[in-house]
Amino acid sequence: MRQDERMTDEAIAWAVRTGDPSFEEWDAFTAWLEADPAHAQAYDRAVAGVMDAAEAGSVAPANDDVAEEAPARGGWRWLALAASVVLVAMLGFIQLRDASYVVETAAGETRTVALADGSDVTLGGAARIVLDREDPRIATLEQGRALFSVRHDDADPFVVNVGEQTLVDAGTVFDVARMGKTTSVAVSEGVVLVNPERKLARLEPGDTLSVTDGSDAYRLGTAPVARIGEWRDGRLTFDDATLGEIAHELSSSTGIAFSAAPAVAERRVTGSVALAPVEQNPQAIGPLFGVAVRREGDSWIIDRP
Amino acid sequence: MSSNRAPNGLEAAFLANRERLLRFLRARGAGDAAEDLLHEVWLKISTAAVGPVAAPVAYLYRTADLLMIDRYRSERQARRRDKDWSEAAATVPGVSDAPSGERVLIARDHARLVAEALDALGPRPAAIFRRHRIDGVQQRQVAEEFGVSLSTVESDLRRAYRAVLEVRERIDEA
Repeated sequence: MRQDERMTDEAIAWAVRTGDPSFEEWDAFTAWLEADPAHAQAYDRAVAGVMDAAEAGSVAPANDDVAEEAPARGGWRWLALAASVVLVAMLGFIQLRDASYVVETAAGETRTVALADGSDVTLGGAARIVLDREDPRIATLEQGRALFSVRHDDADPFVVNVGEQTLVDAGTVFDVARMGKTTSVAVSEGVVLVNPERKLARLEPGDTLSVTDGSDAYRLGTAPVARIGEWRDGRLTFDDATLGEIAHELSSSTGIAFSAAPAVAERRVTGSVALAPVEQNPQAIGPLFGVAVRREGDSWIIDRP
Repeated sequence: MSSNRAPNGLEAAFLANRERLLRFLRARGAGDAAEDLLHEVWLKISTAAVGPVAAPVAYLYRTADLLMIDRYRSERQARRRDKDWSEAAATVPGVSDAPSGERVLIARDHARLVAEALDALGPRPAAIFRRHRIDGVQQRQVAEEFGVSLSTVESDLRRAYRAVLEVRERIDEA
């Protein structure tokens, strides 16, 4: 009992100190917590009890010049409200625990998200991915490009859903892009299985695959491994892509609005673009693809030369 | 060139202090959930628009600490509701999931009991508790406002915390 008392006193003393934004001695606090698992419980009780009191006390009078009945009712109303706030906070928390979450990037932005299993995903510009906090081994790429560096686990393969396709890693670094209804995959390390339960394709380093929703007709190809994921370093390579697709990708990657004029949107070209010069001068892509680039308001139109 | 967005100060502090934070969460009683909670800290700082933070490491610890407190309070709330439910179910099976009458009374009393317990400490500790915990004023500033030292503020707060915790215990035992 006496020891409990002392522990409660210590927990209260820590709660007073950690409760101030200027508190910085977290190492000392950690050491106290580690000294006895019961310390954390005592601290939780102390902080939660003080929070309850502060919430209840927000409406309780500080002096006696209010009639006895009124503050009690007011206090109860407020406490009911506080309880519902706690409940909402709890539901929000459960939802967070269960539910998926979305990470999005702006056009021109690149961002790496660390997953709890040690894997990471680098998103290109204007990308959107849905991740699951409960299960770090699943991801849904809704649009844009993502380079997955996956920690391999035979017992729990990493699964990427993209459009109508399912990609299953077998120990892997791979690049996935979702443009409109078309999914493209390129493998840099390891092996990726595409749609293992429907029409299996097995991709090894240097293999590429693209497929459009509504069909299982895979377009298979190869790419130099060094080129896969190079968009992270500011380079985009197009292999027999339409100028419409290229305009879209350039917009996502640079944050500069490109579009292809109808007359050339379906024209297919091949080439590799360093983004830095394009960001300086959008017309720099002209000579590479044999097109003209002209400005219309805030956007750049790719058109016939 | 690289278009990789450089991690901001807070994210860089997170990455540099990942192990320390994990150790803290474990010490804080997170157990097997420590990694998940750490990930939640990361999400909070990497997805929320947090302005520049003067002391990023302390900010990260505080975020982790508050997550643990939220968790404790949520679990406690769920336990209470389960208890209320089983009490209600025992008397009126399947009819009501409302808190028992006794608990309503207890909850109503809480605010009054807290006020009484604080006021019993004398005007300054009660006022300092309210200024800091309810108005959210930092301890150093509270000390200036009341013309006392920081250690006096801390000592008043300890007394006030002890008093409100005793109220809490009385209610829980009832």
